[in-house]
Amino acid sequence: MTFVEKVCVLGAGSTKYGKLSESIADITTQASVAAIESAGISPKEVQASYISNVFGVADKQVHLGPVLMSRLGIPDKPSLTIESACGSGSVSFREAYANVAAGFYDCLVVTGVEKVTHTGTEWTTTYFAYCSDFFYEGQAGASFPGLFASMARAYLTEFDATEEDFAAVAVKNHDNGFLNPKAHMQKKITIDDVMKSPVVASPLKLYDCCPFSDGASSVILCSEKFAKAHGGDYIEVTGSGRGGSPAALQGREHMTTIPSTKLAAADAYKMADITAKDVDFAEVHDCFTIAEVVDTEDLGFFDKGQGIQAIREGRTKLNSDISINPSGGLKSKGHPIGATGVGQVVEVFDQLTGKAGDRTVKDAKIGLTHNFGATGASCAVHVFQSV
Amino acid sequence: MYSKVYKMTIEEQLIEFAKQGKLLTHKCTECGHLHLSTAYYCQKCGSKGFEDNVLDGVGSVATYTIITVAPAGFEKYTPYAFVVMDVDNTDLRISGFMPNIATPDDLPVGIRAKIAGFDERGILIEKQ
Repeated sequence: MTFVEKVCVLGAGSTKYGKLSESIADITTQASVAAIESAGISPKEVQASYISNVFGVADKQVHLGPVLMSRLGIPDKPSLTIESACGSGSVSFREAYANVAAGFYDCLVVTGVEKVTHTGTEWTTTYFAYCSDFFYEGQAGASFPGLFASMARAYLTEFDATEEDFAAVAVKNHDNGFLNPKAHMQKKITIDDVMKSPVVASPLKLYDCCPFSDGASSVILCSEKFAKAHGGDYIEVTGSGRGGSPAALQGREHMTTIPSTKLAAADAYKMADITAKDVDFAEVHDCFTIAEVVDTEDLGFFDKGQGIQAIREGRTKLNSDISINPSGGLKSKGHPIGATGVGQVVEVFDQLTGKAGDRTVKDAKIGLTHNFGATGASCAVHVFQSV
Repeated sequence: MYSKVYKMTIEEQLIEFAKQGKLLTHKCTECGHLHLSTAYYCQKCGSKGFEDNVLDGVGSVATYTIITVAPAGFEKYTPYAFVVMDVDNTDLRISGFMPNIATPDDLPVGIRAKIAGFDERGILIEKQ
């Protein structure tokens, strides 16, 4: 593949993640304004927006693009909303990336958003189940915790792992999220807290699950020459990969691996001309504790079945062998599903431009984001490098 | 009767067979690869030619979960299991709803199971 332009992230911003009172339109705009100001540009320089959102209907606002652009004072500029379940943010980022790389645009705002907590646990659980292969899964009462719990039971059956090992993922991510002022659950927890939390879908307990969150994240994506001309801190997108998996778990050859992650990672590593060993830190899709274990194996950081051993040995803690989810991940930072994939890029931007404060990954040069939709039916992986 | 079945949607056909404890599958006429009957093209060779192949809906539990926090409409059934079942003598799996499962002791992985019907809880699976 040949690209016309190198693509860079010039600015980034997020709202706090959690239960927010503002409207979906308002938080979409707040995050976008934060990204524009972080980049030191004028909204008039933005040529288009890419917006990721899944359940706008829950807050009575779909067609978010024109609403955002109107509030930014650029109603004449085009916009596009992309839905790919919990992977919407990274998939939208990828499409924005492709458009800058191809030379269609020099400067885009890429914003992800979700506003669902006001609908309550039962209805949020119900809406999310619509992201499954509904005929086979949601229709039969499968919730998302239930689908990942099915993967967790398969992992426990196949490998030398315990529920306490899964709990250690949650504890580690809460340790990181404790250092993140934007995190939904900015508190430390213990293995005991996880083990004693109520069962949601066995073997997963409440603290094995990410929270339902509201929130918005935004980045400014631009050509290298645009970034250079503006003089601020920027990072380069060096790899972008996509992949797919059978929509339902029943269609997977193995239920302890996510094929789309492997495909997207292979693509992204090849484009960036690196291997998994070169990655200094990664924001991975830990919607449930089992997911992070599977992700770190599928991304090639650990061999199959060894991800759990890595957790047990603390090899994925902040500033250990490879820092996994320095932001706190979906588990602690929160999971506003349309925003998550963009929020991961915000973390990588902050890490590689020295803005991550107490949770800084020391001497990091290469960061990776991994974000998928549903049980990994859709996935995008991106590689970023400091300049 | 056959013409009535023929006019059903592909999902309705699968449901009708599930109600009889059967699993309707599509066998590729080019390469023989077996799919659930919602497939329109062969995942292996890309061919569109399928012949119906009705299997006994029997197998063993590949994995499952017991759901205590349920989506809307399912609260009255908790706790229940969502089950992924390996279908005997094939590489296929089928998922479904299994009532009255409270603890993992009720459902060891590998236990024999069967398709037991279809209703507002989707495809029903029971222990054999």
